[in-house]
Amino acid sequence: MLNFEEELKKFQPSLEVDEIEEEALSEDLTDLSDLLKDILETTR
Amino acid sequence: MDIRGELRYRSLYWYNDGLRKAKIRDLTGAENSLKKSIQFDKYNKDARNLLGLVYYGRGDVTRALVVWTVSLKLVPADNIASDYIDEFKSSRGDLEAVDQTAKKYNQCLQYCRQGGEDLAVIQLKKIVTEHPDFLKAYQLLALLYLHTEQYAKARQVLRKAQKLDTTDPITLNYIYELNRMHRKRTSGQKDVKEQQTVSYKLGNETIIQPVETKEREKGMAFTIANIVIGLVVGAAVMWFLIMPAVNESQARQMNESIVEASDQIASQESEISALEKELESYRTQSDEAQTAKETAESTKSSYESLMDIQTKYRNGSESNENLADELLAINQDSLGDLGKEQFTELTESIYPSACRRQYNRGVANSDVENYEAAIENLSKVVRMDETYDDGNAMYLLAQAYEETGDTENAKNYYQKVTEQFSGTSLAEEAQSALESLNAAGSGNTGE
Repeated sequence: MLNFEEELKKFQPSLEVDEIEEEALSEDLTDLSDLLKDILETTR
Repeated sequence: MDIRGELRYRSLYWYNDGLRKAKIRDLTGAENSLKKSIQFDKYNKDARNLLGLVYYGRGDVTRALVVWTVSLKLVPADNIASDYIDEFKSSRGDLEAVDQTAKKYNQCLQYCRQGGEDLAVIQLKKIVTEHPDFLKAYQLLALLYLHTEQYAKARQVLRKAQKLDTTDPITLNYIYELNRMHRKRTSGQKDVKEQQTVSYKLGNETIIQPVETKEREKGMAFTIANIVIGLVVGAAVMWFLIMPAVNESQARQMNESIVEASDQIASQESEISALEKELESYRTQSDEAQTAKETAESTKSSYESLMDIQTKYRNGSESNENLADELLAINQDSLGDLGKEQFTELTESIYPSACRRQYNRGVANSDVENYEAAIENLSKVVRMDETYDDGNAMYLLAQAYEETGDTENAKNYYQKVTEQFSGTSLAEEAQSALESLNAAGSGNTGE
């Protein structure tokens, strides 16, 4: 049996238009190559 | 291959995987693959742009715009993401609609959290009508239907959601839950016998349906039997109840028609009879008129003859014999009293001499056996005076008829002689002649 409240929590609010830019700026753009760079720099 | 190349290769690998899944509407799978792709290489603009399209395909337009914006920021040159973004920016109405949709959806979430499920349902139904590719709205609506036990509506909504994204876990979870609850309901019914079911997968959906059993076949036979019985009963009702009434009604109508026709016939016969009587009266009147006319003409003629005879008698231009013939031709009944008086005067003057001449001539003709001429002469004498010569004129006339073979006239005049001159010898002779004629007639018939 579904728990309505629990299921409801899975639904996140939708982005509004004026939030697009802020969201784009806060996007994490780290990919694997960035991680490897960090690892290499750390090991040096 | 160096590390960069390796990463690039793996990014492309997941991009292709994402593309393949996006084509078959496995948007959740495509999202996962594309995210992996950009994790290997954040500069893979194709992967990021496709990811934006995936979000757009699920109705999450604002999320798609975020992804395209990042794509354009990372790779500004020769990037289709700029076209996507410009298309929305150029149309203010589109951007406004997207914003309103997001706001309404968020408001629905608020309603749900505050216990206003009914309001949320109403709002969500409007959203999915205006934006039929907004997956999250379908899912939230399905959840509300499940929560309020409107399972048929929930199933309907989830079907649409699954068409948008065939592998979305929330959609699949709700479908599974629906089927589980359906199984639970049907297995709980005591009067339902255990049915054999057939279950199979159709795409990502599990279809469970019962197998047709003999019970259903028996039910069909009972249904057909009931239909046949119903038809028989209906026919019997028609035959015994409705048809007699219909026949009686028709018979009554027929009788009424016959009576009406009979009345018409009787009326027409009566009319015909009346017309015939009228016609007869007209004929009678016509006959009477004709008679009256003839009488009038006769009267006129008689008076004219009388006057003529009188004139001739006075001036002696005609013989008494001729005048007597003219007097005999007058119809005495058509004369009035004065006319009859005048007629009598004339006859008294003319007849005696006329009778004498005609009688003598008749006797002479009889003597020479010229009986035809004798009859003519003696007939005139008898008409002028039946008793002329004490009945001898009549007797001689009878004899003349007898001689010519005119037995009837002979008998007639013999009879008159016996009647008018009874007791005389002439009457006896007439009687004897009459008896001879009768005997002769009987003898002929006896032969």
